[in-house]
Amino acid sequence: MWKKKLNSLTPLSSNLRRSKAPIPPPYTTATEFTSKQILSSSPKFKTQENYSFSFNSSSSKRLFKTPRLHLGLPNLNSNLFCSVSSSPAAISHCWNCNAVASGTAPFLACQSCRSVQPLDPSIDYFQILGVEKKYDIKVETLEGKYKDWQKKLHPDLVHTKSKKERGYAAEQSARVSDAYRTLTDPLSRAMYLLKLEGVEVDEEERISDPELLVEIMEIREAVEEAADTQVLNHIQAQIQKQLEHWSESFADAFCSRKYEEAISSIQRMTYYKRANEEIVKKL
Amino acid sequence: MLRHSANRLLGSLSRSAGSPATSAVLQLPRLYHERVVDHYNNPRNVGAFDKNDPTVGTGLVGAPACGDVMKLQIKVDDETGKIVDACFKTFGCGSAIASSSVATEWVKGKQMEEVLSIKNTEIAKHLSLPPVKLHCSMLAEDAIKAAVKDYEAKRTKDNGSAETPLDKAADA
Repeated sequence: MWKKKLNSLTPLSSNLRRSKAPIPPPYTTATEFTSKQILSSSPKFKTQENYSFSFNSSSSKRLFKTPRLHLGLPNLNSNLFCSVSSSPAAISHCWNCNAVASGTAPFLACQSCRSVQPLDPSIDYFQILGVEKKYDIKVETLEGKYKDWQKKLHPDLVHTKSKKERGYAAEQSARVSDAYRTLTDPLSRAMYLLKLEGVEVDEEERISDPELLVEIMEIREAVEEAADTQVLNHIQAQIQKQLEHWSESFADAFCSRKYEEAISSIQRMTYYKRANEEIVKKL
Repeated sequence: MLRHSANRLLGSLSRSAGSPATSAVLQLPRLYHERVVDHYNNPRNVGAFDKNDPTVGTGLVGAPACGDVMKLQIKVDDETGKIVDACFKTFGCGSAIASSSVATEWVKGKQMEEVLSIKNTEIAKHLSLPPVKLHCSMLAEDAIKAAVKDYEAKRTKDNGSAETPLDKAADA
């Protein structure tokens, strides 16, 4: 469902379609599950069976105490989740030399023998690129991390290795590219965050909000009729302001877990982005 | 204007096809039913009526996931309730443009009660739309209903009278 939506929304997210691995589920431990259940005010969560195995884990009683701590420290949630969610990867072993993963970085390649590891879909894009799982990230830090990974994972580097490892490299390298593209673009980053939270967005939804639609219609007509680049630049500047405004709205709504509002902001951003694409075509 | 539309249409098509713009244009005939291509190249009834005209009903709908926006307007004979003219303006993918173009053709000359029964599946079938593009035809169906509803709302307001049966149908 989400894959289809993303594909129709933006070419940037075509990366998601290419990824062979299933989308990582929006949880990693029972701790996260219980916190979400309590903190969430939205009914749009995935069904409980998705979480049931962690819920039934032997340590569930102990973990039940954790959410209260989170409730008291809402701003630290994402930090706590990030640190928690990296732990399962820490017990991984290299398929080639059997070395234990260090645990400080996502285990995509072995530190000892440099072998590329099989794809682990539970490692999300934020973990891959070493940024906190939130909307307001420093985009300029992503490129360096992305290039670092490609220096270790790129298929060209393993062309003499086994077919198995070449396959791993192809998948890992593609996924790192997906991660980079998805997190670089504000709109696709916003949609990816919602997806990690398990929030469903109805791709077939139709709206009749006259205020928004009249505005979009007027912008698109103005772009179509614009006679010179000066006019187009003027419209583009206005659209840019709107994009920034709704980007902030998304960040606020997402932080306070108002997912309906977050989706509404994403819709606005999609409309402005489309209009901007038309401008770019004409410029 | 027409040239603009054609450029826009081709641009939208390449997006829908998910291929680079350069190759998509060449692949058009194979990817889309000839009727879609026809409505692309010669969109029927593109334009706008004065939305403040009391005989005009305006339907404005959007599909936020694609960033599509569609305006469909009807001009109604007050005496007979017949739709004497229709026009549309759609910014969106090719299927959305073709769907609204077909919709204006179908509503012209019909009674308002009649056009409310136009189903998106009929439009989709007529254009042989693929499943992923069905929501474009839904958008056209929504636009027809919204236009009728808008016209009825205007008339009710002008007459200050009670609801007509059509209002209920439009809400359905």
